[in-house]
Amino acid sequence: MLVNIDNLSKQYKEKRAVSNLSFNIREGSCIALLGPNGAGKTTTLQMLARLLTPDSGAIQFKGYAEKDYRPLIGFLPQHPSFFNWMTAKEFLTFAGKLSSIPKEQLHDRVQETLRFVSLEEAMNKRIGGFSGGMKQRLGLAQALLHKPKLLILDEPVSALDPKGRRDFLHLIEELKQDMTVLFSTHILHDAQQICDEVLILKDGCLKWKGSLPSLRKEFDLLPIKVQTEEPMKDIIEQFEIIEDYEYIDAKTVKVRLLEHVHHNELLQELINQKRSVTHFEIMQDSLEDAYMKVVRQ
Amino acid sequence: MNRFLTLLNKEITELMRNGKLIWLPIVLMIIGISQPLTSYYMPQILDIAGNLPEVASITIPTPTGEEVLSGALSQYGTIGTLLFALATMNVIAQERQNGSITLVMVRPVNEWQYLGSKTVAQLALLLLSLILSYCLTWYYTNLLFTPVDWQVMLSSLVMYCFWVLFVVCVTIFVGTIIRQSSAVAGVSLLFLALIGLLTSLLPKFMEWSPGNIRGEATKLLVEQQWTESAWTVIGSTATLSLLLFIAGVMVMKKYKRY
Repeated sequence: MLVNIDNLSKQYKEKRAVSNLSFNIREGSCIALLGPNGAGKTTTLQMLARLLTPDSGAIQFKGYAEKDYRPLIGFLPQHPSFFNWMTAKEFLTFAGKLSSIPKEQLHDRVQETLRFVSLEEAMNKRIGGFSGGMKQRLGLAQALLHKPKLLILDEPVSALDPKGRRDFLHLIEELKQDMTVLFSTHILHDAQQICDEVLILKDGCLKWKGSLPSLRKEFDLLPIKVQTEEPMKDIIEQFEIIEDYEYIDAKTVKVRLLEHVHHNELLQELINQKRSVTHFEIMQDSLEDAYMKVVRQ
Repeated sequence: MNRFLTLLNKEITELMRNGKLIWLPIVLMIIGISQPLTSYYMPQILDIAGNLPEVASITIPTPTGEEVLSGALSQYGTIGTLLFALATMNVIAQERQNGSITLVMVRPVNEWQYLGSKTVAQLALLLLSLILSYCLTWYYTNLLFTPVDWQVMLSSLVMYCFWVLFVVCVTIFVGTIIRQSSAVAGVSLLFLALIGLLTSLLPKFMEWSPGNIRGEATKLLVEQQWTESAWTVIGSTATLSLLLFIAGVMVMKKYKRY
């Protein structure tokens, strides 16, 4: 366990942004914080980054006695803003000195980080002239410069174009080998690609936490849709490999198979029963359905 | 200490890059030397303006060097103070508004280091401008009027530096409270004006007031001796400035969000 978050609450003037939020962050995991706009994701992350003081609750890093745990975290805000008169290299050097990176290592570390986010060529240019994608990458560079234990990214890809988004997700994927990553997004697909755990927030409350496959399972989704020429009545009920089913009409059914059963076996069974399959689909958006169910709860 | 120096270095580089380190000394120098120059050329200026009736014979007594220098101090007191507050108003407000403060405060930086670096850098800028301007004014005064002893000039300069210290500390303190940079300058100037007003309205109770600094500096020029009241004013100004700085740090520590 790396961090223990206990009963965090934050109230803005009239709105309760986060209420009684508790969760743990495992060391080495990659966690996505999901939720619709205004669910309290940014507030949560800013409290974790100590930029916002919670009204109540505690954040405790395991094995770190000091109250100010800022040396352990790297933070990328949703809209990072820099000192526009500095160059990328100057900014990272400045940030590295503030994080007490030893002088001998600082230069190499800055170079290495700039190379990682592919800003090497622009390192002596003023940040004021950077594009949004470059600023986002510089933001990531400053967050991981001092090799933090926990990397906190607030909507890292929502402002990027499709290519920038893919590149950025690749960077995060590489980073999660070395550090624990916590990032927020409102796009399920991003989370699906790179993380092993999700937290779903709604109106400041934690609605669900766990891995994505278990999310699909818990919400009783029937991810396979089968259509045959003949009615399937009484056949589906006999199949032992099926965990649950739902008829759409006599010839169409949505099913969920038992764990570890390959969907080919269902096809095989249907053919054995002399049914001609006209449609067989594994529904990709089933995760989206689960997410919507959680959010609507 | 290292972090403080890093932040200070950043502040000074910023002052150089955005040109403040160039224009502020220049503007202040112009304000300073305009005093001896206009005093010297006043008869000619009046001649050229030529609106005086022939019969009016006026004689303008030539001022002494000390009087010219105290005239320059009075320019610093008005336009100078306005400039000081304007130059200092957005050191914190701007970083809070555009959010660049978050990338600093997400690192292990404390409020003392942050505010300290701002105060020291701003003081360095304003004091450098004041010293350059005042020395240049002194040089022109010596050329055009009766010479003023350098020790006298220096003691009045040192005295006046405390006014700059006070203005910077007031403006930075207000800057920790208010986010709008123009409002920061407005509130600071209002506060400074209020102190000046109270000082002249209630001279008996306000002997310690920083508003007396210019009077004391003029006294140093004309009477050429340190009096006890000069020490009182210096002491109280230094203490008030320190208190304002501490208060600013306390306000920042109480921030719920940067």
